[in-house]
Amino acid sequence: MFDLSLSLIEGNLFLKYNHHHCCLDYHRFTITMPNTEPEEATRENRESNDGSFECNICLDTAKDAVVSMCGHLFCWPCLYQWLETKPQRQVCPVCKALISRDKVTPIYGRGSSRRDPRDTLPPRPPGQRTEPEPHPSTSFPGFGFGDGGFHMSFGIGAFPFGYFSSTIFNFSDNRPAPSPSNPDYLEDALLSKMFFFVAMILLFYLLVA
Amino acid sequence: MSSTGENRSSNSTRDSKANISSSRLRKELMDLVMGRDKGISACPVDDTFFKWIATIDGPNDTVYENLKFKLSLKFTTQYPYVPPNIKFISPCYHPNIDSSGNICLDILKDKWTASYDVRSVLLSIQSLLGEPNLDDPLDPEAAANWKKSDFKKIMLMHHAKGEKKSTQ
Ligand SMILES: [Zn+2]
Ligand SMILES: [Zn+2]
Repeated sequence: MFDLSLSLIEGNLFLKYNHHHCCLDYHRFTITMPNTEPEEATRENRESNDGSFECNICLDTAKDAVVSMCGHLFCWPCLYQWLETKPQRQVCPVCKALISRDKVTPIYGRGSSRRDPRDTLPPRPPGQRTEPEPHPSTSFPGFGFGDGGFHMSFGIGAFPFGYFSSTIFNFSDNRPAPSPSNPDYLEDALLSKMFFFVAMILLFYLLVA
Repeated sequence: MSSTGENRSSNSTRDSKANISSSRLRKELMDLVMGRDKGISACPVDDTFFKWIATIDGPNDTVYENLKFKLSLKFTTQYPYVPPNIKFISPCYHPNIDSSGNICLDILKDKWTASYDVRSVLLSIQSLLGEPNLDDPLDPEAAANWKKSDFKKIMLMHHAKGEKKSTQ
């Protein structure tokens, strides 16, 4: 069976078509949903393009960063979880050098030293001063964005045009300037491209059926 | 004994773990789509991102050249702290792959670390195809046949049998 699916991941729309359950190809479209804050979206993109400060476990910008003796960067909660998973074989996830809780160095960027969650959930490495109460209001900025992704999938026989067009194409005209790494797709081009694919697949289906 | 505080913290650990798994798998998909690695592909098959289908091209200059293999990947909320469960769907006659598609590869077991991802694992499986570990075979018969000049013929015969079985 031919089957088409769309996934929206962090503001990027993936069109994927499967043939006999084999994934053939992806097409990526950059669209902006009306409810996303433009500044946050571009900042997120810029951050994800710069791999230097990404945690080696969650692949996100390192929060409450610690660095190992071998120089690999992690979020402390991510590394703590890894050390807990393998208490008998504590190695750096990247280079497999020996690693332990007392041998990692916390990194304090400007303005971030006020809060230290290593005090709360994972016990923090020794040798640090007593911290004030953690601020519950300080959340991780720009992190919840990835959770907004959704995925829909439909067979060609029951194509919910109404739902499709009202949900996916409900972006408004006040599109923010795209980040420099993303090609500037015009909405018209996107629409026509999308329907070209859909038409192609319908055609294919008619030929096969 | 266990206080309510501990209960709350273990619940929040579980929630944050599930968040890490799915947000990491989303990032990995983005990297795979952007990277366009030759010879490997992978995509989620359900909206939870915990089930993926992948394809691996047989490496050049090996008996598996020009063959394409389909694999299934299953992740849990423990990912990336524990490895995904990876199996061959397509028949693959190989010293370290059994007839059910199970793979014997150290990085999928005790050598796993949280920094491995779908991409690195698929590339490792791809190179395992050309460089089997003959000391610890999962399919002793395939291991015994590996050095034979007609291994490719034997392998293709097995695949034809396997495909017939799976279509029945
Ligand atoms: Zn992390
Ligand atoms: Zn390291």
